[in-house]
Amino acid sequence: MADTDEAAIHLPSHDFATHIDTDLSDETQDFRMLSNLSFLTDTSQATLPKRGEKDFEPNPTLYQADILDASRQAMHNALAHPRLHHPKNQIIGIYAPDGPAPPRSVATPKKLDTITEDDPLSTKNTADTEETPSQTTTGPVTGVHPDSCVYVPNPKGQYFKNMGRADRWNRVWLLPEEALYLLERGSLDIRWPLSETGCEDDGETDDPGIPMSLQAAYACFIGRGGLTVDRFSVYSGLRRLGYTLIRAPGWYDGVEEETEDRELTKCQGPGLAGIYGRFMKWLHSSRTTAVGPVAGLGIHRSYNDIYRKLSIIPFHDPMAPPSQPSQTKLPFRVVFYVYKPSTPFRKTAPPPPDFRVAVVNARTQTTVPTLAQLGTLLESTPLDPPKGEKMERMLYMRLRHGYRSVVLAIVDQGVVSYLRVADAAFGKEKLYNRVAPIGNKKGAHPRPKPKGR
Amino acid sequence: MTIEPTLPIPISYIEGNYYVFSIDAVTYLRREYHICGVLIGTLPQIPQQNVFLGLPLELMPEEARLLVEKGVACIVDEVKVQKQGMKALMEEDRKKYLRELESQGLQAMRLQTSRKEQQREKTLKKLEEKKVKAAKSKKLPEDPEPEPEPAAADGPKDDPSLELFADHQLSSNSQTTSRRTSTTINPENAMGITPATAHPPLPAEPAAEQLLPTPQVPSSYPLFAHLHAEGYFLSPGLRFGCQYLAYPGDPLRFHSHFLVVSAEWDEELDLMEIIAGGRLGTGVKKGFLIGGAEKKEGSADKENVRTFSIEWAGM
Repeated sequence: MADTDEAAIHLPSHDFATHIDTDLSDETQDFRMLSNLSFLTDTSQATLPKRGEKDFEPNPTLYQADILDASRQAMHNALAHPRLHHPKNQIIGIYAPDGPAPPRSVATPKKLDTITEDDPLSTKNTADTEETPSQTTTGPVTGVHPDSCVYVPNPKGQYFKNMGRADRWNRVWLLPEEALYLLERGSLDIRWPLSETGCEDDGETDDPGIPMSLQAAYACFIGRGGLTVDRFSVYSGLRRLGYTLIRAPGWYDGVEEETEDRELTKCQGPGLAGIYGRFMKWLHSSRTTAVGPVAGLGIHRSYNDIYRKLSIIPFHDPMAPPSQPSQTKLPFRVVFYVYKPSTPFRKTAPPPPDFRVAVVNARTQTTVPTLAQLGTLLESTPLDPPKGEKMERMLYMRLRHGYRSVVLAIVDQGVVSYLRVADAAFGKEKLYNRVAPIGNKKGAHPRPKPKGR
Repeated sequence: MTIEPTLPIPISYIEGNYYVFSIDAVTYLRREYHICGVLIGTLPQIPQQNVFLGLPLELMPEEARLLVEKGVACIVDEVKVQKQGMKALMEEDRKKYLRELESQGLQAMRLQTSRKEQQREKTLKKLEEKKVKAAKSKKLPEDPEPEPEPAAADGPKDDPSLELFADHQLSSNSQTTSRRTSTTINPENAMGITPATAHPPLPAEPAAEQLLPTPQVPSSYPLFAHLHAEGYFLSPGLRFGCQYLAYPGDPLRFHSHFLVVSAEWDEELDLMEIIAGGRLGTGVKKGFLIGGAEKKEGSADKENVRTFSIEWAGM
């Protein structure tokens, strides 16, 4: 009944200039649809089901009760599906509760000669290995993120192309969100190390310990290294859709963000927040209106001159460099860099991201961000003016694209909504400068735009 | 469908949020207590989509509180449980658990191989039928189109795989049976399993010091509890611009009827909020429901929740 209307409310929100159909993930879908998928037998035809038909309200018929039972049973079956690892492509990860550490075969025997003799890999790096025990807390394994807590001794498969960092023993270290995501999708088998269990630890490294459950993985990884469940929901949600995500510098509270457009800081100009001050100044110093007409006395020969004179209200120019680099504060801070599936991504040298995402918890942050918060957040992102032939031509595309943009992921108890905030420059689009369309040829010129804002 | 988990159900508290990991508990709470929560995990069968999600189930603090107040559940400090539980795990338990997992893995492997076998047989049968039919149609020249119903439907798509199977069948028919028996015996070939819950190795009952007090809830809790008591299923409503979505029945089968926003009894409301809410609700054929607990002088603790539904009159 309400189907069409629910679909209709999503239509006006055409994000990113692309047309988005009804988002099936908006509401709970009937799990019976899932059983139509023959994903277990044939992965090639795993297309998503159509939106299920729902009833308006419960009635005491047996028919309805039966359908509901079937739906619930389907849901139960789908959720009860075990995470299995075929021995052929099983990837085993080992939980390292104390963070990255060199393998035990290297770390425990402190004598240098044994290392050089036994471990051919570390021979060239003997000098490094000597140093590692002294700085175990800061970063014992070079090239690996200090928040990593799971290592994969035998990395294979496609997942490590854009996840994890390898150390020099060829083990790939995973960040908590990466490990949890892989475990959750049934692609990684994480083991408890023996040192965490009550069993005696006799130092044999070939015993990989006992498998970690999903429950234990949530308990171990959520809350580790700044990973909140909200951030994880955003991470896994976008990963499931095929995006690549990495932590942005703003992940850590208090860490200075590198502002990427420093080279533009040559001339001082007011930022978004500075506009208010300029407006006040203008209010006080607006003598022109008191003396006479705003457009000035005399003979006017061109409309454009008049319009130019009439534009007395100052506007924010996004091209102007930010006045002072103010520090963004959580939650209005970029915590993820997001890459489209089509963007070529190398994990050792990540390219500039396609999207910057800030994660906001709707329960703790109940108000819309202030202009100052939004301003600093936008100023922390690099200038990205609309470019290209299409943007030149289409005014509204240009306005929507803006000069800086950031995506806010609002999380309400596991339900994520994404909003794109862009710094649009209405003041820069002088409508009076545009050439009026000649004749009826609509193809040659863009449509005439209404003058009002 | 009538699995009864042992009560109280432990709700895991991890870093400020509440989760349920046991599938039996999830279905039980949904069926008996109308608590749906939000599934936030990836479904391992089809991991690259966001329409159907899997365990764990995240509960709103309101839902957790309601269950605790009803005596159905208890809040457990999961981080503590895991740490202490693993520390207490002895060599014996570990070996036993590993053996259990291995036998489950073997079982899974056996099931999968037998399923594959069945599928193979099915396709072979289909192939044979097709051959027979093809032979028949050759005999009948007035019927140039191949056979109509079942084989034609998935004919072109399945063809290469069929031929592949046909080749195999000739050469390795005798081998497969022997290979199958070998897989069932060899423990090397057991499927690895990542269990959803931690409780086979760890005790099912949490220790007393691992229990936590009842969850802190927002001021909208009285309204939440009231609507829940009236039989509504409630879920977080940010997607629709409200606090809760109220469903008349299980959200699996019904669309929601109300966008719920809670207010304090003497709170001054902006008229714009009511208009915006009413507009928003009417746009999706839902009512905008506003409500709160009425504070009465005489009965201080007995809260009386009142609700109002706002609709566009369309005069």
